[in-house]
Amino acid sequence: MNFWITFWTIFFFASLSIFSVMAVIVAIGGYYNIRSLFKLLLAGAKQADNNPDEKQS
Amino acid sequence: MLENIQTNFTNWDWVIIVIYLAFTAGVGISVKRYISSATDFMVAGRGLKTLLGVATMIGCELGLITVMYSAQKGFTGGFAAFHIAFMAAVATLFVAATGFIVVPLRRMQVMTIPEFYEKRFSRNVRILGGLILAFAGILNMGLFLKASSLFITGATGMNSEVALKIIMTVLLLLVLLYTALGGLVSVVVVDYVQFVILSVGLVLACVLSIKNLGWHNIVDTITQYKQEAGFNPFLSEQGFGWSYVVWMFFLGIVSCAIWQTAVIRACAAESTKVVKKLYTFSSLGFLIRFLIPNFLGICAFVYMAHSVELKAIFLPEGVEASSEITMQAMPIFLGKILPTGIIGLVTAGMLAAFMSTQDAYLLCWSTVLTQDVIAPLCKDKLSSKARIFTTRVFLVLISIFTLVWGLWYPLEQDLWDYMAISGAVYFTGAFALLFLGLYWKRASKVGAYLSLFIGFAALLGLDAVQKALNLNEFFKDHNITSAKIGLSTIAAATVVMIVGSLLFPDRGKAFNHEEHYKE
Repeated sequence: MNFWITFWTIFFFASLSIFSVMAVIVAIGGYYNIRSLFKLLLAGAKQADNNPDEKQS
Repeated sequence: MLENIQTNFTNWDWVIIVIYLAFTAGVGISVKRYISSATDFMVAGRGLKTLLGVATMIGCELGLITVMYSAQKGFTGGFAAFHIAFMAAVATLFVAATGFIVVPLRRMQVMTIPEFYEKRFSRNVRILGGLILAFAGILNMGLFLKASSLFITGATGMNSEVALKIIMTVLLLLVLLYTALGGLVSVVVVDYVQFVILSVGLVLACVLSIKNLGWHNIVDTITQYKQEAGFNPFLSEQGFGWSYVVWMFFLGIVSCAIWQTAVIRACAAESTKVVKKLYTFSSLGFLIRFLIPNFLGICAFVYMAHSVELKAIFLPEGVEASSEITMQAMPIFLGKILPTGIIGLVTAGMLAAFMSTQDAYLLCWSTVLTQDVIAPLCKDKLSSKARIFTTRVFLVLISIFTLVWGLWYPLEQDLWDYMAISGAVYFTGAFALLFLGLYWKRASKVGAYLSLFIGFAALLGLDAVQKALNLNEFFKDHNITSAKIGLSTIAAATVVMIVGSLLFPDRGKAFNHEEHYKE
């Protein structure tokens, strides 16, 4: 049983630490990704206004 | 009994919740102006980059329902429940390393899995597959609302059933409003906000739980009450065992590579390179979505074990507490140990988690019904506008169903097992169709039909179905668990797909894998 206690203890704290770091990276990077997604969609919307048949799918 | 339990929740916490929900819904609605086509609405113009993809995938998959069923598993299974998180991470890393199923799907540029069925097999397989997928998916999300209601009752100490129903209906309407207006773009943005808040809330809840209970106390209490079975997942005393561990690995593959809500993000990714990166990062998210709630469930168990008042309710002598009781242990525990303000923030995060999962699932099944059932039945003559309108009609109908189903379905097993089995109606057949359809040239449409129908056998894993068929005693006597039923259904679906394909091969030109899978 000691093996499992040690294993889950290391597993839990290691996962929690790595997740905390990743959450910060994803939160910052995700914000910039949203901005570029909006730019892409706006460009698509302008294109659709110019050529309404093109974007039917 | 549970009605009289007091928590630290105050009016200040309600203020935090109202402000946060208004902000989230406002953001969701404001992105409507970016939608100009069905592709924008359904897959966000296929413009999802890695980090946003990770946030939205975790945001969607780490819903309140996940938190509730994982906490319940931690409460009933102890540390041994951590194997579910471990298996989910291993399975997602496997998909990331190999591109198993998701990379060929992205290369084929499909929006939904049934769309693949049409390209690979036939239009009718797509319609049948779409119907089964939507049926299983909607059944699967049928208890989201009920589980979320139990969380609010537990964390806030709210007694009024009428007030609770009003809150849940308002939440559902909010989700419906912004999802119907902004489609996947709204879903992605709301999921991102939710990811940030919930990550902070969950990590904080873990730190405060350990500070409050003490790590050694947690380990010692589980050892005292559950012995080795509270740590070793291969022992069957806590409802796990070898078959359960294998079932969890398979569910890990399903969750990230076959379940439509995850696949839609792979399909919306910019490129196949992004798909692999998305899955590598998300493996940690798929791990955490089980691990942290598992841990909070374990802490709830330890808290109840040391409380004279609560022990009688949650750990009664000689009998097992019902599923609805064990599900409320974690929210009551959080309501007891988190201070005012923090409990408001965590509850707001959890409600946002409910909304972000509800929105993604509503959109997903509505899209499947529109794209894979209605549009093919209309011989693809539906315009982009008509497709968006049809999707919105389905959004409303599915919302009504979840309200009604959540009120009357009697949950007599762990919520996670209900979720796994109801989803299995779809994914057992889908696994065979995707795996063999993508990697075996001789897979035929007759094999596909047989495999899809076999998936219904998974319904035998639901306690309510077993009782209706008078099979519950037989299954119990022969130790036939829901995990074994699920695994047997997968094996049967794969076998009938192979046999059906060999006996009834497709006529005409064979499907050209190389032509469809090129970058």
